[in-house]
Amino acid sequence: MINSMNRVVKGFLIGLVLIAMAIVPACKSKKSPAPNVAPTETTATVPNVPTVTTTTETRVTNPPDFVQTQPAPQITTETLPNDIEELNRVAEQRGYLQDAFYAFDESTLTSDSQAALTASANWLRRNTQYNLLVEGHCDERGTEQYNLALGDRRANSAKEYMVALGVDTNRIRTVSYGEERPFDPGHDEAAWAKNRRAHLVIVGK
Amino acid sequence: MIRHPLIRPSATFSRGRRLSYSAPSPWVRGCVVTLILFLANSLHAQTQIHPEINRQQAAAIVRIAVPRPETILPLEAIESPFFAPLTRDLAASGVFAIAPIPPNIPANADLAKAANAEFVLALKITQDGADTILEARLITATGLTPFGRRYRGVPAVLTRMAHMLANDLVREMNGQPGIFLSQIGFASNRTGHFEIWLMDWDGTNQRQITTHNALAILPSWSADNDRMAYTLFSGGRSEMYIINRRGGGRIHVQTGVGLNTSATFSPISNDIAFVGSVAGNPDIYVIRDDSTNLRRLTSSYSIESTPEWSPNGRQISFTSGRSGTPQIYVMDAEGTNVQRLSFEGEWNDDATWSPDGEQIGYTSRVSGRFQIRIANVITRQSRIIAGEGSNEQPTWSPDGRWIAFQSNRSGAWQIYRMRIDGTDLTQLTFDGENKEPDWSKKAE
Repeated sequence: MINSMNRVVKGFLIGLVLIAMAIVPACKSKKSPAPNVAPTETTATVPNVPTVTTTTETRVTNPPDFVQTQPAPQITTETLPNDIEELNRVAEQRGYLQDAFYAFDESTLTSDSQAALTASANWLRRNTQYNLLVEGHCDERGTEQYNLALGDRRANSAKEYMVALGVDTNRIRTVSYGEERPFDPGHDEAAWAKNRRAHLVIVGK
Repeated sequence: MIRHPLIRPSATFSRGRRLSYSAPSPWVRGCVVTLILFLANSLHAQTQIHPEINRQQAAAIVRIAVPRPETILPLEAIESPFFAPLTRDLAASGVFAIAPIPPNIPANADLAKAANAEFVLALKITQDGADTILEARLITATGLTPFGRRYRGVPAVLTRMAHMLANDLVREMNGQPGIFLSQIGFASNRTGHFEIWLMDWDGTNQRQITTHNALAILPSWSADNDRMAYTLFSGGRSEMYIINRRGGGRIHVQTGVGLNTSATFSPISNDIAFVGSVAGNPDIYVIRDDSTNLRRLTSSYSIESTPEWSPNGRQISFTSGRSGTPQIYVMDAEGTNVQRLSFEGEWNDDATWSPDGEQIGYTSRVSGRFQIRIANVITRQSRIIAGEGSNEQPTWSPDGRWIAFQSNRSGAWQIYRMRIDGTDLTQLTFDGENKEPDWSKKAE
């Protein structure tokens, strides 16, 4: 009986020693970090989530969180310059306002012109602090006096299209320059095509 | 208010009024009547064949010798301000042919014989205090003096005296006033901006009459030659303005509609016809010069443009795209009775009436280029006056013999003048770009 008890205790002790032997080196290795492990590696292993790209990425960068940034349209509004000429340059460069182009002796809108005016109208609806002047222009091939009337019709066709898309009609004025102020002074179709247009100009708040 | 120093009355007109006219003696008048009767009689037989051509041919054979004036003044004080414009006027009159002058013969009947001329124009310029006095006499080969007249004014009006004398000589021959005091209004960008300018009929004396530093175009004379309407682009708007040579500043005609281009004065009332636009529909409108009584004359959805009154004020020509291309139409001044006038050419515009109301000149595209076309209002038959480049915006001289127009044949828009048969082409402007000529309505 005592023998059997001793065997049990002996076996327990041996087990304890084995466990202790197993634990001690583990504790030792924790206290002294391996010198050959680079710190960058550890940080790289922490955020495992971004490696899953594609669709989930937008959800991660836009969390319903307290660190709220402004939505995109407001950022662009705030970065627009106060100077009206600079503002027009920026609006043209970034495509906020896009001119509409026309066929010879025509004031109807092509699909390209409609797309340009749709983009412009969208921007104008978001930026209600600005008013617009639409200039009608013609190429040099017509006669001056008739072209002044044609430019008036072009400017108004562009205006009406944007009004139909929800821009307040009181925010848009029109003027016709006929062939008085060509964008391209050339005398070929490339120049003429550039000069047959409704040119959109921001005229202030 | 912007002043127009060059058309203030004090500049030219008050001085001009000081020119005096001494009526010819009864004897001279008798001679003139005889001469006119003689000319009328000689013309009458030919009239039945082809009146227009023969009247001009008969008039063109009046040879006149014009020796330099007898004067104590230095030659350079007379030559370019007086003698050059006088001989230029007479040579272009369509009435006189200037005869070469044999040397060393005084200005009398002998000179007429020697030069084989019907008349010698004997000129004498003297000084009387501050005034310069011009005496002009026509002397025939037989020693008669059918015309004698004296002009007085300060030296600055010598050129005006030359034009007046030429006008009087033309009237003496054919009963029609000369055009040598008429003016051509136009738009020029030689200052960097298009402004309204004026020049004498021969292209001299070019002067700026607006200073907007913006875009001022399309000048148009009133029937009395006192006012000019034009379109000013400023602040993204185009508006109608009137300036008056007798002062009063610039008047803004408030139409209440857009565009306000192609303004043109009625020859018989205070109305101004122009192109107005509401919601992108350009139409012909009429408004009184005090900005009241706006009326819309056309109501087509197509583009209407470029109105011009007939000389009697009863009709208005205009351009309309209602047929698919710009064409010339004529309507009654109330907007009724619209009739199409032009059927040739795929783009016609800029109609302008001859002073007698029988013809309309307009810009007409032929083979891709614009040319001046002249059409008979009744028969609608037309002919082209062809030239190099594009030729646009014709305007008739008050005597109906000349047309001024703009052409880009030199590479830039310039104003030219020619006879209505296309001959005697003369370039009138050279600096910058010059366009939209409008010839004054009265010979004055």
